[in-house]
Amino acid sequence: MDFLVEGLREAVRLIANGDHQIIDATLRTLSISLSAVVLAVLIGLPIATGLARRRFVGQRLLLVLFRAALGVPTVFLGLLCYGMLARRGPLGPLDLLYTPTAIVIGETLLALPIVVALTHGALATLDPRIPETARTLGAGPIRRLLTYLSEARTGLILAILTAFTRCSTELGIAMMVGGNIKDRTRTLSTATALETGKGEFAVGLAMGGLLLLLATGMTLLVAVLGKEDRRDA
Amino acid sequence: MTIVSTNQLIVRRADIRILAAGDLEIAAGECVGLCGGNGSGKTTLLRVLAGLEPVSPGMVTVNCPAGDITLVHQHPWLFHGGVLSNIEYGLAARRVDRVTRRRIARKWLERLGGSQLAERQVEGLSGGERRRVALARALAIEPTLLLLDEPLAEIDDTGIQLIREVVEGLDNTTILITSPVDFPAGFVERTIQLTTPPTISAAG
Repeated sequence: MDFLVEGLREAVRLIANGDHQIIDATLRTLSISLSAVVLAVLIGLPIATGLARRRFVGQRLLLVLFRAALGVPTVFLGLLCYGMLARRGPLGPLDLLYTPTAIVIGETLLALPIVVALTHGALATLDPRIPETARTLGAGPIRRLLTYLSEARTGLILAILTAFTRCSTELGIAMMVGGNIKDRTRTLSTATALETGKGEFAVGLAMGGLLLLLATGMTLLVAVLGKEDRRDA
Repeated sequence: MTIVSTNQLIVRRADIRILAAGDLEIAAGECVGLCGGNGSGKTTLLRVLAGLEPVSPGMVTVNCPAGDITLVHQHPWLFHGGVLSNIEYGLAARRVDRVTRRRIARKWLERLGGSQLAERQVEGLSGGERRRVALARALAIEPTLLLLDEPLAEIDDTGIQLIREVVEGLDNTTILITSPVDFPAGFVERTIQLTTPPTISAAG
């Protein structure tokens, strides 16, 4: 029991003193996962909208593939990215392995199916009167798209939050293509795993605690800021 | 001038006739009531004219641009946000500037007796209030062909009187209104009676 209490006390002290390693890993985790989510949203929203609102050959198959991709393990994505980015891999010349960019690429692949599958779900179940009303009032394609996203906002916010929590807490990709290099690619999840493994329990506890705070805190922040959900609930 | 004409208009869904309107002619500026029981195809006819329901070529001719036709659903959908921003939706789509949009939105809301709703959010409006907002939203774009699906349900007598006055003031607009029951006297210029299509004929 002393071990736990001692570790917790040390962890609190590290966080309170603003230990630069910990601050550094927190900011890096935040910037990497936010970049990945922004990229996944930019790529995923048009795909989700196309899947929900248009009819084309292979549509169902594509949707099933994106849904199946929700289950791809992060270590597999790490493996895939490693294979692509390693010096002898097809993208080796870019020299991206063990950089934050490599983690962003991997986590974008992790977030994309989440954004596509969940946003598609929200858009596909929109009331048919929404597109009809927008059309008969003369809205063009861009205004219609913005209207759909606004009407599907609850599902859209859920998709983005899910993607963010998945990216910020994942370990496999950050470990395999980031490599937990101090001051370069160390994130909260890799630090939690590796510092604990090295016997630095207090550091691991501090990192893990901050990770927990970051992942759950974002959801709470959105709940506080999002006024409309109070009425919808 | 004829604005709407139909030629042997029949609409099927899953091999069942849901509308058999035959040949209709509606002159520009007319205010026409569509009567008929449940399943007689009133809503379907409006949807066909609004371009929301595909029909065989040649069955329907509408002599005005698609952008000048608008439909108000039987249970209108209001977009998330404020009452005024809803009424301004079609104007924004036509790139009318913000100040003009707001002025037009307030004008129509006032004419329909809903001035007190101007600053409200759409959540929490009553059924009748939602209808007025949706009607104001449709009128704001000054449509050439206005299609109203049972607009009088849930509206109180004062509201019906206001809508009648507004509708009578629209000289350049052709209006089609549906109702499952008879219209109040003098509300429409003439009525077209639709009857439920017989379900038997597979050959027809």
